[in-house]
Amino acid sequence: MSATARDNDAIAAEAAQWLVSLRDDETQGNAAALARTHAAFTAWKAADPRHAEAAQRMEALLERVQGLRGQAGGNARPAQAALNAALSTGQRRRRAARAGAVLALVLALAVPAAITLRAWPPAYLMADLRTSAGEWQDHQLADGTRIALRGGSAVNLRYDAARRTLELVQGDILVDVAKDAARPFVVQTAHGRIRALGTRFMVERRPDATVLSMLESTTEVQPAAGGAPLRVQAGERLRFTAAGAEPATQWDAASAEGAWRRHQLVVNDQPLPEVLDALARQRPGYLHYDRAALEGIRVSAVLPLDDTGRALQLLVDGLPQLRVRMVTRYLAMVDVAPQP
Amino acid sequence: MHSPIHALYADHHGWLLGWLRRRLGCPHGAADVAHDTFVRILASRDALLGLREPRAYLTTTAQHLLIDRARRQALERAYLAELAALADSQPGLAPSPEETLAALQALEQISAALDGLPPKPARAFLLHFLDGEPQGVIAATLGVSTRMVRKYLVQALLHCHAATGGNA
Repeated sequence: MSATARDNDAIAAEAAQWLVSLRDDETQGNAAALARTHAAFTAWKAADPRHAEAAQRMEALLERVQGLRGQAGGNARPAQAALNAALSTGQRRRRAARAGAVLALVLALAVPAAITLRAWPPAYLMADLRTSAGEWQDHQLADGTRIALRGGSAVNLRYDAARRTLELVQGDILVDVAKDAARPFVVQTAHGRIRALGTRFMVERRPDATVLSMLESTTEVQPAAGGAPLRVQAGERLRFTAAGAEPATQWDAASAEGAWRRHQLVVNDQPLPEVLDALARQRPGYLHYDRAALEGIRVSAVLPLDDTGRALQLLVDGLPQLRVRMVTRYLAMVDVAPQP
Repeated sequence: MHSPIHALYADHHGWLLGWLRRRLGCPHGAADVAHDTFVRILASRDALLGLREPRAYLTTTAQHLLIDRARRQALERAYLAELAALADSQPGLAPSPEETLAALQALEQISAALDGLPPKPARAFLLHFLDGEPQGVIAATLGVSTRMVRKYLVQALLHCHAATGGNA
């Protein structure tokens, strides 16, 4: 038993020697020596499956180390800085833990476990109409219906003889439905459907719910789980999930439409993550935030959607506990500032 | 079923939470770490060993988690800051969030593998395998002989090998 362990130690030591020799030849740019060492190393690995196994694990680790350069454009500096910071944190551990200095570090960044990384899902990329972050589009369809899309939105259109269906994959739209008594217009999301004849309304597809805001006339909402359809009138707003709808609330339709035209986001007592979702769709970059940590913060504000940097600044001005850090132009992090 | 873990949780969870809250000054983080502490104890097979001194055992485990967190955060912050500086000088450089996350995960694994290694072997390892510096240059940087650099490199590789599930 211990003989096996000793064997394994010896094999690992030999594998390490080989890899150090290989890398040495490589860094010295000595091609002939590298070829010779490589051939000898290959023969050593072939001689015993345990050799191959030990070498393979070390090579995998070294590949990971070398792969770190790739994403920084071949530059090793970010990885080097990160590892040095981590190693010195590790080496300071006892002193730091005793002095309580570790606390400052722990508080500096909330655990990025629930970091929200925004990526474009395939359903967005394959949609019939879609806008990129910060882009606004207006479309007039063949039947005269007009659709305006805010940034980061995607819709699929299915028109047939019986009905006109618009599937809202993600984002925010403003729809001005052309009257067609024979073919109802239906907006479909994962949470249910909105049926209209000729009206104007806005729909926002959030991760957990769909929000319908009526501008003119009426529509009928049918949550995915079934039940009687609900009538929603001009000036009303209805939030529904697949399971059902909350009671409709009154909202200021006229100013909301003006806000859309001025590219503003009007929020009234809304959870912060929902506001950040809307800003993230407008932002050509990535917004990191921990939904769970920010869920309890509610916001009322008018925010410029064409300048999300300013919008974030306005949020911080209104919510002193909030902190926004621009890590790079394309990476911003929002969290709750640690208490001093 | 009255498991020892249950008893440990029932008797000491509140106390641990208070201890962490005093250390962290943040109820949210304290609850997270307290939770992770019990998860880690559940996952470790030597849970029973600690029961004679349950509170010392809990705080030791929690302390380790705090250090892990601090290390992870120092790593992440240094990486993103350098990447930002680099992106400012190289306008074409824009890694996707997936790439950044993958790089951070790789960095965490590597820093965990290097943890516990003395500073000089760790420096030599990174200079050689990450930066591609020849052994002679590293010897000059660290003020040691080339033979010593070679020893450091082998030592570092063996350390990582053992840390990533090497020979028992």
